[in-house]
Formats: sequence, structure tokens, C-alpha cells
Amino acid sequence: MRYRVEHSTRFTYADPVDLACHMVRLMPRELPYQKVLSSEVVADPVANRRVEHVDHFGNRVGWLFLEQPHPRFTVTLHAEVEVAFPAPPAAASTPPWEEVATARQGGPGQWQAAEFAFPSPMVAADPDVAAYVAESFPAGRPILVGIVDVLRRIREDFSFRSGVTTIATPVGQVLAQKAGVCQDFSHLMISGLRNLGLPARYVSGYIRTKPAPGTARRRGADQSHAWVGCWLGSALGWVDVDPTNDLIVADEHVVLGWGRDYGDLSPVRGVILGGGAHSLDVSVDLEAV
Amino acid sequence: MSIPPSPTGIDEMVDGQGGLRPHWRQIVSAISLSDGGGLADLSQRLNDAFDNEGVTGILPGSGRHSWRCDPLPLPIPAGEFAALTEGLAQRAELLEAVLEDIYGAQNLLADGVLPPAIVYANDAYLRPSHMQGPRRPGHRYLDFYAADLVRGADGAWRVLADRTVGAAGIAYARENRRMLQRVIPEVFRGTQLLQLRPFFDIWQTALQRLGQERAEARRFQQSQFQGQTQFQFAGQAPAQTGPGIALLTPGTSSQHWFEHMMLSRELSCALVEGGDLTVRGGAVFLKTLKGLQRVDVLLNRANARSLDPLELDAGSGIGVPGLMDAARGATIRISNDPGVGAMEAPALAAWLPALSMRLLGEPLKIASVPTLWLGEARARETVWRDPAQWLIRGATDGRSAAIEPARLNAAEREALLADIAREPWRFAATPAVAPSVAPCAGPNGMVPKPVVLRIYMVFDGREWRAMDGGLARVIESDEKLCGALPGEGLSKDVWILNDERSDIVGPPALPAFAVAIRRTAGDLPSRVADNLFWLGRYVERLEGSARLARATLHRLARGVIMPHELIELEALSRSLEQADLIPAEATGILGGGGALLSALMGSLQERGRNSGSIAWLIGNVARLTEAVRDRLTGDMYGAFTSGLRQIRYSARHVNGNVELLSQTMVEILRFSASVAGLAAENMVRGGGWMFLELGRRMERARAICSQVGFALEQPPARVEPALRLVLELCDSLITYRSRYLTVLQPAPVLDLVLADDGNPRGLAFQLVAIADLLDQIAGQGDRTLSAVATGLLEDIQAMVTRVADAADQSAAASGLPEPLHGHASRILALSDQVTRHYFALLPAAQTLGSGEAAPSFRGAA
Repeated sequence: MRYRVEHSTRFTYADPVDLACHMVRLMPRELPYQKVLSSEVVADPVANRRVEHVDHFGNRVGWLFLEQPHPRFTVTLHAEVEVAFPAPPAAASTPPWEEVATARQGGPGQWQAAEFAFPSPMVAADPDVAAYVAESFPAGRPILVGIVDVLRRIREDFSFRSGVTTIATPVGQVLAQKAGVCQDFSHLMISGLRNLGLPARYVSGYIRTKPAPGTARRRGADQSHAWVGCWLGSALGWVDVDPTNDLIVADEHVVLGWGRDYGDLSPVRGVILGGGAHSLDVSVDLEAV
Repeated sequence: MSIPPSPTGIDEMVDGQGGLRPHWRQIVSAISLSDGGGLADLSQRLNDAFDNEGVTGILPGSGRHSWRCDPLPLPIPAGEFAALTEGLAQRAELLEAVLEDIYGAQNLLADGVLPPAIVYANDAYLRPSHMQGPRRPGHRYLDFYAADLVRGADGAWRVLADRTVGAAGIAYARENRRMLQRVIPEVFRGTQLLQLRPFFDIWQTALQRLGQERAEARRFQQSQFQGQTQFQFAGQAPAQTGPGIALLTPGTSSQHWFEHMMLSRELSCALVEGGDLTVRGGAVFLKTLKGLQRVDVLLNRANARSLDPLELDAGSGIGVPGLMDAARGATIRISNDPGVGAMEAPALAAWLPALSMRLLGEPLKIASVPTLWLGEARARETVWRDPAQWLIRGATDGRSAAIEPARLNAAEREALLADIAREPWRFAATPAVAPSVAPCAGPNGMVPKPVVLRIYMVFDGREWRAMDGGLARVIESDEKLCGALPGEGLSKDVWILNDERSDIVGPPALPAFAVAIRRTAGDLPSRVADNLFWLGRYVERLEGSARLARATLHRLARGVIMPHELIELEALSRSLEQADLIPAEATGILGGGGALLSALMGSLQERGRNSGSIAWLIGNVARLTEAVRDRLTGDMYGAFTSGLRQIRYSARHVNGNVELLSQTMVEILRFSASVAGLAAENMVRGGGWMFLELGRRMERARAICSQVGFALEQPPARVEPALRLVLELCDSLITYRSRYLTVLQPAPVLDLVLADDGNPRGLAFQLVAIADLLDQIAGQGDRTLSAVATGLLEDIQAMVTRVADAADQSAAASGLPEPLHGHASRILALSDQVTRHYFALLPAAQTLGSGEAAPSFRGAA
């Protein structure tokens, strides 16, 4: 599946900003199942200095430094990407979850996955969330069967509602109010899986804006989307699942990158001097071509 | 584990058979011969000396405790010390190699040598420091290092903790030596001990070398790209040749502020806060009065996570956005590298022997205290069997004190075990061994107390060098063994006793570049200038307030208020109210001025003090004195602190007594006079002095305008008593009498206090001084500000001339209040212009997109 991505973030300031630096994680990363045909980040006004690196997690990260006063700032990603996620393994044939839950010990084959089995700054351990997710993992259940069960329950138990949470809302509160957006569901599921010792990572990206013919419009379209990478053990590796839409990621998603939680991946993070109050306007379009 | 826990450690001084260890003989005999009258007395003399010099940077009277020094040093024979430092040098190199791996290829994790928790569940592991791509050649993580050691029952020193982040306490070690030498020189008689000084020379040279490398690279780049605009921008100071070296401190709020200040002096680097630095074009600059100056090396004493709000913790108000990017681009060297905190993880000790074999190919020379990582089931079982025998520490958190299960009750112990069971990888355990004890001064002679020895190392470019001394921290019975150095405590000087074999280390050669001679202080950081300016203003305002209060008390104290005094008191209470010394409702003087009096008493209250009150002014003077301490001589700092302490002491003992209140005001006036005298005699007429003086002159000019204005708010018939008050407030009565005897007339009085530029208490004198200072500060630059001051002077002189020429001088004088209050506002406006022009406090920085509340930020850039 081939997509054209356009993701625009626009800040408008009450007073001119004298000096700004922005760290952007907007460039899709190259993956065996994701070919980046083109990608370009355009800043307006043009940055005085641009730097690009590959971060700790292998994501592409850029810095934009602006040293002239400016009343607004827009940063836009234009990319064209071809995705073909591998088919997931048959759920029933995956190993019992307890076998995967040894990942924290590290060592060959699982040391990299281990990083995603510990709590992280925005995904704290929470006893209620732990109990909620653990219900889907009775002893000996194949790991992917358990994961699919969690997806179904989140879709059934939670309502998708923006404005009821912020990025900083703890997972325990999301569980209590049974509502939130894609980041909340992803953080909640990650927290519960890690509590069992299962590596789980936060994936940032996009989901197609217009549904494929004959299917319903997905939740979380026309904005940044987030979902969960689950580790199935060293033999099977990672599989991406979308708790917001109760599905295993196949060909409707485009990956920007992954990390422990939102904090590792905020698409545009900046520090500005001056500016006063600011307003933010984000638009995302992921169109099949 | 191999070492059985023992209730008390071995004794450093005696050998167990009642004999004195040989290297203690000299000290014991010197102490017993000292003429001080016993140990307790020596100890008191040392405490007093530390207190007087404010070693921990105590704000006068703030009650903050300080580090104290025990009169008995901890001696270590040179041979034994050399073996220790050889082991620590190896250990530092080992940690360097581990850092290179975990921030690079991560083979130690891939091969399962280190468990992932030690790195990935370690808050001090900075992922922004682990960027993929080739390393820069010559990059190092560790330039300095310290270790805490304890001596076990078998006599061997073992490492209790590795200190890679701040290596705090080095200033206390140096102060201990300095104070001991001064207070009880007799103890040093006949002792051959190695000096601390060479260590600081080595360190300074090492920093200079790091800076030179960058300065050379910069000159090369500039020559390559000459003419291209990307390396130029407005505000960059021209022609900076030497390397820029700065010590980054969190500021006066840090419990180690004194140490940061002392280190910046010893190592000859600028003392800066995050708000003094700005990143432009990928390089770091210090904002000074003359523009931006390049910083090549940053000796970091701030929390690594707060260094850069863009990549690290967004909420920190002290970071420099873009600093990590600059460090990656190698335009600046942060020393130590921000990522080194990961090596303070206590659990790491469990793998060091294996890591040493793997990374260095040799056995570890100096062992750690036995350490178990509780992420392993077998280790948990061992600890579970008898928790009371163990100290529980954070696996990766080397800053928190250990938990002692032996001191917990059953419920607390259960809770601890449950915590460990839930997240076992977060914990490590060390046997609860007792460290060795050393004799300390007690009320009735020597008392043995446990000691932890901290040794400091620095990398000189080729090898690790130790400070020939250290800090021996005495662990009191209520103190914890592990964790970061607390803000207070008892310590001992550490003596490395020279024997015949050791070399005397001379100071190393300094780098060979000539320093250009300068007579200006162009590199004064803007923040320091700002602080000095405000210190000048507050000292003057304090003096002015005391003067007003004294004049008021003088009139109230007599009990019966005469009619002319009523006029004066009205004017005084308006001035007091305008200066925020008393609330508006206290200005009434009917009924004997009781409300006025109690408002003045209230102005000394420290609790719930109002801004503008005398207590508030004293607090501000104390705060700013501390903030500019590195710019003051010891004598000046001493004058400030002892004066403020005396004032605070008197203020606390006023207890409603008018006489004592008056005396306190007199003390304030004396304090202000002595500070002014010291500033005039001791401070070089450079940037620092100019701003202190400018603040003082501006405040005084404003106060004269307001006070004369309030005094003259009278009908023409009542102008005469007002003139007397004007002379009194401007301390000009005697001068007036010597010129005009007792005839009080408006024009001569106003000439003396407003227009005569020879009267240091008059307005004209202040305005001339202000114009002159602003000229000097501007140098070749823009002189509009000094022109404003000159304009003010011309206006005021014209005003006085109009009164002198008037047919009815009294009527003319009583029309002056309005223009005088207008003048006061113009002086304040000039002060604001100075602030904007030289200190340029920019609007607060905000963080976008991190989901955290916007931090309040000091101006950078």
C-alpha cells in the first residue's frame, strides 16, 4: 500500500518569538516493511540551523533553530511511503506468555526488547491497570491470544473521546474514566503488559484518513496516531497492534518511530523565548495513492 | 558473603592491643601539647572560624547549618595512599570503558555481561547521549572522579560508592586544611604532609587543555569560512582568543554553592547559571556586558537531567536549550559528560570484577564492598534469610541513603520486602558492615566514630592524578552510610604523610598562550552586573529607610509632639508610606503616633514581612550578597555578613522598646557606611564596582526627590520646618549651618540638597555620578543613557534657580512637590532603561509540545 503523508503543525504567537529551537520526530523511519520513497520536513520561517540524527531507538530526529524574531512557525512533513506489514503469526501457535515474560533478564536475543519491559516516565506501573490487563493472560495462554483479547476489551470498555485527557494523564485515571484517545489506550495497554514482564513499546505514526472502500472510518485519523508494539519472543519478534481500533496493524498505518512512551516521540517539541500565549493548529492527511 | 558483619569497625588510631599506630604518634603528641586547652576547645575554635567565614554559604542568620571540621585529622601513610589511588585510577578507566560501551555499541548488554536493568532502568542513563553514528575521536566521558571508601575489619579499604557526577566535598576538604593550618598551626609542626594545591593546578591545566583544543578548532573553522555569515551574528563579542571555561552551578539555592564558588576561583573559570548561557549557531555563549563570549568547556555542577529542556527534563528552569546538540557537535565539551551519572549505580559493583577482566584484561585492583543485585533470585534468597544483616540500596540510585532493615519495625520491613518483590531490579544489597572508627573531639576527650573516606581524582590528559588528601566524613549515629553528600555534617582533614620515597609534586607548566592585558571588565556576566546593581539599590534603600525611621522615632520618643514636629511627622510618614515601610493606615499621627510607632516596630518582623519592610530589605541584601559572593573580597563579604548578623540580632531583641529600635537603625546606618567605605577602598573601578555604585546612586537620587517633595507639600507659611527636615534627611544640617548659620531660607537649602554637585548627600552629586558611570560603562558605545542623567541634572538646577529668582521663595518652594515627584519617576525610568539595556532579561522561555506545564525560565540569549 502506498501513502502520501502530510502533517502540518502551526504555532501562532501573541508576541513575536525571539529565539526558538524545536526538536522534531516527523520523519518516517525505514523498515523492512516500510519503504520511505520520499520525505521532507519544511519549516516556515526557514531555520537558521538544522541538524539531523538517528536517536537511541533508531528513529530519525531533527533540530530546527530559529534565531530571528517570528510571529508564527509552521513545520510540515511531506512524505511518500510504501507499507506492507508482515502477516501476524497464527495467534494460537504463539508461545505461552510466561515464556516471553523473562525478557528483563536480557542477554542474547532479548536484550533490546528488555528495555521495553520496565516502567518509563509516562507509563508508570499501576495496580488497577495491571489487574485489568492481567485478566486476559491466564496461565499458559499463547501470548498473541492474550494480546488480541486485550484489544477487544479496550475497544468494548473504553470510549474514544478527545479533550478528557492530556498527555500527562496517568493510566490509572484513564482506566477509571474509561475514556481517552489513542495515546491513553496505548499507554494503558503498555503499562499492563510490562507489569507482566512483557516488552511493549509505543509506536508513533499515522492511520489512513479516508477508509478503504467498504470499511468504516478509523478512529484517530486526521491527527497523529499511536499504537503498541508487542514482543512475542526472540523467534517471532515484534507485532504492532492498534488498541484504539481493535486491530493488528496491516496496511492502514505508517510508522514514524517508536520508544518507551510518548515522551520519547513527541512529534514537535520546542523551547521558545518570548511569544506570550500561543495557539496550536495541527493537520494530518494520510491518503492512499 | 565473605565478611562477617561486626558491631563496631576497627580503630584507625589504635591497633587492638592498646598500642598507637605509628603514623598517629605525631598527631597525638602535637594535640596533647597544643596550648588551646583541650580538644573540645580546639573544636570550638574551628567551629567559630567556619561560622565566621560562612563556609557553606550560610545566609546570615538563616540558621542553615554548615560543615564542621574535627580538629583531629585522619592520617594515611603515603605508601598506603598510593596503592589506593592506583586502584582508583584503574577503576576510573574501567568506568570510562563501560560508559563508552553503553553509550556506543552496547556489547556488554548484547552479550549478557550486564543486565538490561542497570542501563535501561537507570534514570541517569541519558538516551540523548546515545545517538547512533561514529564517535568523535578523543572523546572522553570522565575527566574527574571520586570514590567513597570504608575500611573493613580486615584492614582493607573498599569502595562504597563511585562518584562521577559532582564529586562534591572538594571545597570542604580544602577549607578543612586551610582552617586547621590557621586555627591550630601547632598540630602541623614537625609533620611532613603532602599538599592539596598541586591537584587544583593539575585540574586547571587539564581544563585549559580541553579548552585550547576547541579554541584551535574554532579558529581553524573561522579561517575556513571567513566572510560567510553563518558564524557571525549580532552581539557576538569580537576577537576572543583564549578558551572560554565556565562552571555551571544551579545557583545560590544549591547546597554546594560555596563549593562551586570556590572551585570557579581555584580553577579560574567563570561561574555561570543556565540563564547566563545561550546557544547560537550550534555553539554556546556566555552573555556578558560586552556581548556574547564563546564557552568551550563547561564544568558541570548542575543536575544532568536539567541541562537541556529540549532533550532532557522539560520542566527544569535552569537548562540551556540546544546544549546537548552543541555537545554532540563538539563545539563545547561538558565535563564530565552528562551521561556519566549511570556509573553511580550501586549495583554495578557486582559486575566490576568481570568487567575489568573483559574490558581492561586485568583483575580489579580495589574491591567494592560486597554487593548483591536483587534482580537475581539467588541474591534475593540470600537477603531474605536475614534482612537485618543487610543495607538495602537503590540498584541504580546512588544518591539516596541506604535503608537499614535492622532499624525497621516488622510492618515497615514487610513493606520493604513487598517493594523488592514487586520491582526487584530496583534494589541492591550490601552487608551491614561497620566502617573503621577514628577518634573525634568530644566534650571529654576523644570519641571514636565511623568514617567514610572520599578521594578525588582528575584526568590530566594522560593519566589519573589524585588529590593528596581527601574528605573523611564522620558518620554520626543518626546518619546513613550511603547516598549523596549531605548539606551539613562533620568531617576531617585527610593527611597523606610523606615518607622519604615520595616525590614532591611541583605545579605543572601552565599553557603557553599570552593573556591580553585588560583594564575593563567586559566579560562580567550580565547576571552578575544585574545582581550588583540591585545590591547597591537595596543597601541604599535600607540606609534611607533607617534614616527615615530614625528621624521619625526621634520625634515620637519625646512623648509630646510640638506643632512644627507635627508638620515634619506628616511629611515623614508620607515618605515612609511611599517607601512601603509602613501601611497607609498607619500614617495618622493623631493620638501620639502610636500606630506609626507600632508600624515601624512591625517593619522589623521577619515573619510575614511585607515587601519594602526593613526585614525584607535585609533579606534581599543578604540574598544578593550571597549571589555576588564570588565578586567580593573576603573582607567585604565578612563586612556584609557580620553587619547583617548584628542587625538581625538587634532587630530580634527590640521587643517594642523605642530606644532599642533607634539603636538598630543606627546599626543599619553604620553597616551601610562600612559597606560603602569598603567598596570605595577595596573594589577595582571596573564593571562590578560600577554597577554597585550605579545602583546606590540611583536609589539615593530617587529617594531625595521623593523626600524633598513630600516635605515641601506645605502651604508657603509652613515651609520653614519642612526645610529643616529636608536638611536633616539629607544629612546636610551641619554643612548648611557652616554656610548660612541659622537662617533657614528655601533657595539656599534647596541649592545645597538639590543643585550643589559637591554635596555627596545631595541630588546633583548623584546625577553627576550616574552620568559619569553610565559613560564609563558605555565605553565607546551608545551614550544616550548618560545624556538622560545629564538632562535630569540640568532640569533640577533650573528648578532651584527659579526658586532663588522668585519674589516669594516660600511660595515657589511649595510649588516644587509635583515636579520633584515627576523627577523621581524619571529616575526610576532611567533605572529601567539600564536594566533593559545591560541585563536584558528576556521574556520567559516556554516549552511546547512536551505536555508539561510551561516552566518559568530565566532569560537566556
